[in-house]
Amino acid sequence: MTSLNFRLPADLRAYRPAISTRLVSHPIFAAMLVGVVSGVLLLVRDLVTTPIIALLYLLPVLLSTTLWGLSGGITASILSFLSFDYFFIPPHYALIVHKPQDVIVLLVFLIVASVISQLVGQVKSSLASIQAREAEVIHLYDLSQSLSGLWDRSRIARMLAGKISEVFGRVQIEVRLYMPSGAIVIREPDGNPSDDMPLTILPLASTRGALGEVRVWSMREMSDAEIRLLRAMVAQGAWALERAALIESETRVTILEESDRLKSALLSSVSHELRTPLVTIRAAAESLHNGAVNRNSPAADDLLDALEEESDRLNRVVADLLNMSRLEAGALTLLRQWNVLAEIADTSIAGMRRAAQDHKLEVDVSEDLPLVPVDHVLMQQVFNNLISNSLKYAPTGTAVKVSAKLTKDGSAVLLEVSNEGPHVPAEHLEHIFDKFHRVTDAERIPGTGLGLSICRGIIEAHGGRIWAENQPGGFAFKFTLPLRWEGSAAPKLPIDSEII
Amino acid sequence: MNNEPQVLVIDDEPQIVRALKTILTQKGFRVSTAARGEEGLALAVVTPPDVVILDLGLPDMDGIEVCRHLREWTQVPIIVLSIRESEKMKVAALDAGADDYLTKPFGIDELLARVRVALRHLTQAQGSKEPIIGAGAIQIDLARHIVTLNGEEVRLTPTEYDLLAYLASNAGRVLTHRSILEHVWGWAEAENVEYLRVYMMQLRKKLEADPRHPTYLMTEPGVGYRFVTGD
Repeated sequence: MTSLNFRLPADLRAYRPAISTRLVSHPIFAAMLVGVVSGVLLLVRDLVTTPIIALLYLLPVLLSTTLWGLSGGITASILSFLSFDYFFIPPHYALIVHKPQDVIVLLVFLIVASVISQLVGQVKSSLASIQAREAEVIHLYDLSQSLSGLWDRSRIARMLAGKISEVFGRVQIEVRLYMPSGAIVIREPDGNPSDDMPLTILPLASTRGALGEVRVWSMREMSDAEIRLLRAMVAQGAWALERAALIESETRVTILEESDRLKSALLSSVSHELRTPLVTIRAAAESLHNGAVNRNSPAADDLLDALEEESDRLNRVVADLLNMSRLEAGALTLLRQWNVLAEIADTSIAGMRRAAQDHKLEVDVSEDLPLVPVDHVLMQQVFNNLISNSLKYAPTGTAVKVSAKLTKDGSAVLLEVSNEGPHVPAEHLEHIFDKFHRVTDAERIPGTGLGLSICRGIIEAHGGRIWAENQPGGFAFKFTLPLRWEGSAAPKLPIDSEII
Repeated sequence: MNNEPQVLVIDDEPQIVRALKTILTQKGFRVSTAARGEEGLALAVVTPPDVVILDLGLPDMDGIEVCRHLREWTQVPIIVLSIRESEKMKVAALDAGADDYLTKPFGIDELLARVRVALRHLTQAQGSKEPIIGAGAIQIDLARHIVTLNGEEVRLTPTEYDLLAYLASNAGRVLTHRSILEHVWGWAEAENVEYLRVYMMQLRKKLEADPRHPTYLMTEPGVGYRFVTGD
């Protein structure tokens, strides 16, 4: 009984208890074996004694039980007993026993034969069930291994259907997942099952109710053992689905928490940024209105200037917020065109003159650079944000420079907005483009903490890269803009040179 | 008969309407107001305005639609009001027949300048066109195709001249990329903006004192160009 190291048949057909054929064929084999033994013993009847014959008749019993199980063993026992009596117990060729000692021999034979066939049969059948259980365990292990890495529900359903079909062979499987948006139906193999096949339906049950169901159309009714295995496989599938649902909701919770954290950072930053100019506006308007400040005095002009400046500041905060929410929502559509970088830089700087009146704005962006495929308005926004950030931190009277040149390999333009402001600690350099990341005390320098992250969003949408560097005597923002757009370089323009 | 120009303001924000009405009345305009597109269109028929100030974000109908409806029967100048972040909408409104735009929040000087330009173009459209356009040191003689800078003739290529002439005859008014490409190059598509950009650069080199800080040939980011005469 050392046959436990068997190979698993591909479709487990050996595992199926084919009871109907076994019931008919095995007793016939056993009877034939008894016949053969009887024939041999008849030839040597005169040479051996009755007890020897009894012992020899145990051979077909043992052999039949071993080969064909309990049914074979019992058949062999009864036939051996009858043949023994008929052929070898005097009077021969009759089922009559005269001598009491022969009765004892026959009875002992019958008992021994029955016990042997019982014992061997039990071992046989428990082996078969152990083998079946082992096959079951191997299949379930295989299935759980295959499901363990999956978190997508339709892939889990597909894997489950595939494995069931691998184990049960010629069956038609349908895995149905109940989703909020409707059911997902996976069929293995593809196509519609025929109506006349027996159908087994098992629910994909979880602690949160049914997640779906599995329908199996088989060629014949399934045995109890098969249904048990199928049930176990479906349960594995249900666990995998439940786990996937849990992971999904956990991810959602993490995202929600993160966005909650950002929202409160946004609210505190924005309410501060909105309220500060409002304080000025309110005070200026009121003091002009109630006559606290004489309307014809220079103080009134100061207040009117403040009104304008602070409204502009409010407008910038609102624009930052809008841009950020568009970037976040992925609603930022680039209006890309081949642009002259010098024109964009010049337009941005023309708009910054007033804000930069305490600094020197220097531009070194050649008109001879290749055309760049960018959104003019958004690029202008990048320049504006980087310049106004520089203006906030660089000491008054120093220069803020904007320059551009081709990268070494000529595939992109490298732009730089540099200033003579203080260095940024190395650990902050990577993070200054993150939302709400403020290096300095937020109370001292105004800002929403959104400007630089908007720049990064815009540059990355253009396929470029943005970073910051400490330089000798200052600080610089650098970014690249690719020169190719959808695989092509800037068009060569046929410019007319003929003069009228 | 009242000779003060009639301005029709179509905007659904009562605060903006109130401010515009107060300021424009102070400046000597007659002002009628409408909070909805349908109402504005009806009012334009009853009291034909000399200028329409139209908000693009109306509750009942698209501002661009209002432009189209007005253009079906009148050439009255339309100035659209829009927010900064909607270049596409501005351009669509301009291509649908609007004459100019203002970005909210706008300055009152800017608004009055736009209204003046609009009124001037209205009188020009009704009467004869000025054959000579002056902007600072630049003189453009549309009849003789001659451009002078400080009295000296500037040599332009045919495309440069066509571009300048189109911009100058719409002095003060924004022209979209599409409309320039259509008029100067004869292209209906707004795709080859790079031609326009390169020609603008050349024109600035020939006409502007500092081509990198233009004062006449102005870029309107994302929208088009504007020739500013400075008066």
